[in-house]
Amino acid sequence: MKENPRLRAVQAVREELAALGIDPFGVTIDRILSPTEGVIGGRPTILAGTNNYLGLTFDPACIAAARTALETAGTGTTGSRMANGSYAAHRELELDLARFYGKRDAIVFSTGYQANLGMISALAGPDDVVLIDADSHASIYDGCRLAGANTIRFRHNDPADLAKRMRRLGAAAADALIVVEGVYSMLGDRAPLREFVGVKQEFGAALLVDEAHSMGVLGEKGRGVSEEAGVLADVEYIVGTFSKSLGNTGGFCVGDSADMDVLRYASRPYVFTASLAPATIAATRQALRILADADDLRQRLRDNAERLHSGLAALGFRLGATANAVVAVLLGDKVEALRFWDHLLKQGVYVNLMVPPATPGNESLLRCSVSAAHTPNQIDAICAAFASWNGAPSR
Amino acid sequence: MNHHDVVAQIIEIVTPLAEGGVAVIGEDTQLTGQLMLDSLKVMDLVVAVEDRFDISVPINALAEVKTVGDLALLIQKSAGESA
Repeated sequence: MKENPRLRAVQAVREELAALGIDPFGVTIDRILSPTEGVIGGRPTILAGTNNYLGLTFDPACIAAARTALETAGTGTTGSRMANGSYAAHRELELDLARFYGKRDAIVFSTGYQANLGMISALAGPDDVVLIDADSHASIYDGCRLAGANTIRFRHNDPADLAKRMRRLGAAAADALIVVEGVYSMLGDRAPLREFVGVKQEFGAALLVDEAHSMGVLGEKGRGVSEEAGVLADVEYIVGTFSKSLGNTGGFCVGDSADMDVLRYASRPYVFTASLAPATIAATRQALRILADADDLRQRLRDNAERLHSGLAALGFRLGATANAVVAVLLGDKVEALRFWDHLLKQGVYVNLMVPPATPGNESLLRCSVSAAHTPNQIDAICAAFASWNGAPSR
Repeated sequence: MNHHDVVAQIIEIVTPLAEGGVAVIGEDTQLTGQLMLDSLKVMDLVVAVEDRFDISVPINALAEVKTVGDLALLIQKSAGESA
């Protein structure tokens, strides 16, 4: 094979990190103790970078449901649903999800990444236009590539810029698909969904909202920004994941379209992937039951998010958004962010390091995700670790 | 909007983004190869030309764009004009 410049570019980044003696993208959690604690490098560590928003990974009812399914239905399905058949529980989970959102039907995918890939590529083709927020997750960009669609970016969270681009499309705007996220995973900022729905309705397009980081977190019953903004009925497709607030693995889409059952068969990421294991389905169904009735967990999560956000703001850090389950500390310089991240880990606090091009505005950032399972003492310990950094603004 | 004008305007937009020490930017100058624009700077360039020409450039069409001249042709196509 000839020399591969893409691999060499990745290698150069790896070597840059190795020279600093820091590897933020190869962390091993030696032992996981609870939703918020693990052992990393022999050190007890507070986990504040897990997306485990409701802390359900160790929920006894979810574990019991998984154990029963494991013992009665086996370890795996060993095939795709189309070729090898669905288990009854796959369809039952879809009906649970449709009921939870008050939508006509649902499709379960094997990951959240595949849910975006599968929905966008089934809904749009080479002659179609998809308009996406510039700060969209890689799964949305990759879905557009798989679709082969004409893909137009609009400025992040800017309904006026979307409207301008819809206007340029002329008659084609009515057939376009608009894709936004409820909460953006890097900064934790929310989409102005009511305004986006207004633009969508003005031009007659369809709207897909990825609620990966808002499901279970926002809205009265945890149905995300769509519920919080009061536009649940106006959003054609909601995509979500089982791997954040539901504490498992998998993805889904709910929608009101009469074509929901055709879409799954038009979706290569649905057709050509092994289906989720019985234990995963069973634990996710149980977690969804908990999530729908988790007003207390959501309140704890909000309290923790507010505590972390106000604690870090008081230390003088620049933060990415108003208090939410994702709290991002903006640092600008990549090397400083790397050293800061390493310092936090040595203080027993694990957060996510995010660097360009994954981040908006060429900023490096330390991203914390808050859980309902964090104790106030853990939140205070996270703040104390941030305060102990030599470069902290308050020092 | 003729091709020459579009090229001139792209050069004006891309010059402050460029690295790599290219003395004279012309129609055949490569955006990533010679001006060393990384993926973020390419996106900055696209947003700037979209504003300047009041068009939307589909990001899937960028795969074919290697030079300033290629970008000019894409802009003209997006603006609905013949090259």
